[in-house]
Amino acid sequence: MSKQYKMLIIDDSQVILGTYNKFFSKKNYLVTTATNGLDGLKQIESEKEGFDVVITDIVMPNISGVGIIAIVKKKYPDTPVIAITGWGEHPEILALEASADKVLEKPIDLIELDKIVVDLIEKKKNKKADSE
Amino acid sequence: MGPPIIGISKEIERINDLIKHVADTGLNIVISGETGVGKEVVAQNLYQNSPRLGKPFVKVNCAALPEGLLESELYGYEKGAFTGAEQKKRGKFELANGGVLFLDEIGDMPLLLQSKLLHVLQSGEFAPLGSEKELKTDTWLIAATNHNLELEIKERKFREDLFYRLNIIKIHVPPLRERPEDIPHLIDYYITIYTSKFNNKHMLKPGSGVLQKLAKYHWPGNVRELQNVLKRVLVLGGWDEIIDELFISTPSPESPAAVDPLSLKSMASFGGGLLRRDDIQLDSFSLKEIRRQAVDRIEKEAISYILEKTGWNRSKASKILKISYKTLLYKIQDLNIQSTME
Repeated sequence: MSKQYKMLIIDDSQVILGTYNKFFSKKNYLVTTATNGLDGLKQIESEKEGFDVVITDIVMPNISGVGIIAIVKKKYPDTPVIAITGWGEHPEILALEASADKVLEKPIDLIELDKIVVDLIEKKKNKKADSE
Repeated sequence: MGPPIIGISKEIERINDLIKHVADTGLNIVISGETGVGKEVVAQNLYQNSPRLGKPFVKVNCAALPEGLLESELYGYEKGAFTGAEQKKRGKFELANGGVLFLDEIGDMPLLLQSKLLHVLQSGEFAPLGSEKELKTDTWLIAATNHNLELEIKERKFREDLFYRLNIIKIHVPPLRERPEDIPHLIDYYITIYTSKFNNKHMLKPGSGVLQKLAKYHWPGNVRELQNVLKRVLVLGGWDEIIDELFISTPSPESPAAVDPLSLKSMASFGGGLLRRDDIQLDSFSLKEIRRQAVDRIEKEAISYILEKTGWNRSKASKILKISYKTLLYKIQDLNIQSTME
């Protein structure tokens, strides 16, 4: 991948953040992390050109992943958001209702996640090219 | 309308920050925290910072009404919907349309009504009692609770699906004893309010010694208790007597008579009592029995402590203990709790 895509990962587990960060940084993504919804939202607001992809946990302190999806999709409808849940059916439905592009259940296969990220960024690019 | 959220602690700054960022989202919110911490103030601040300001802010206390009444209060009814429904009544959901519906004590909402609320949140529609027509609602739902809803889900007292739908944003207001640095600021704020409210009656600001004592007090009633203390200071004209009263009626947690019933120190002392080495009967030893006895003892001490503190006001005590009034009465009898005051 030549262009460095900007990725925001929000998860309240430092261990998970560290693992994702290491993996995706090696794959040439420019990774930003946040440990809760509010800090994630602040990152989104301060990133002027917007993130190319957002990966968020669902169950988190202050703003939940469902809240993050709803806010991102309202402000930046084209930004792909991947929701990650380990909490059964209900949050998954909510994440989909809030227009998450993909909902994945823990444990996450990082290679699979990477494929999904590439696919979603590609779709976004194509959509943008179509509209231009 | 509502007062600002006063304080300089990290927690209060975080809450104010969160409010600024989420007040325009209209996403469902649950505000949690002990009785008297100011959950309604947080809800009012959310409303005041939202584009819904100027639209209705409607409050319903889910613990204050019996199930049937709460249902008709929330959704309204048509004329003739039931005996006594002599005219149509609009429900709070209809009245709050375009604005905010603040559901206080959501943890006390009966399960049947939780299902109905879930349906409204899923569909954005509701039907008044006796009506076949569903009405659309655009209401920002802010709920508050002093219960641990996760625990209530495990005990099947609260619907998990409703919890997830409400808990899109959560704001926890910590108890006052965990943020003593806010106390001087709260005092300054309320002194100004009460001075003007009570005909500019002069009110002495507390000196540093008094402030230090107030910071050490554990404030079971939180900000509401602090407000009451300030009103008493205004009436009595000084701090000394009130400070003494606070520490006499609820001695500091260090003294054995008033051990915080849920502290680890207290737990350890129970273990000591239950496991005196010389009288253990190995043939009748059972961890289950030890657990039962330990729970009984800690419950007895916790309930006695709160009852003494509230002057045996059972209704107030049940709220503080977050159990129903009926359960409290049962426990008083079952654990043979007696007043030292009577």
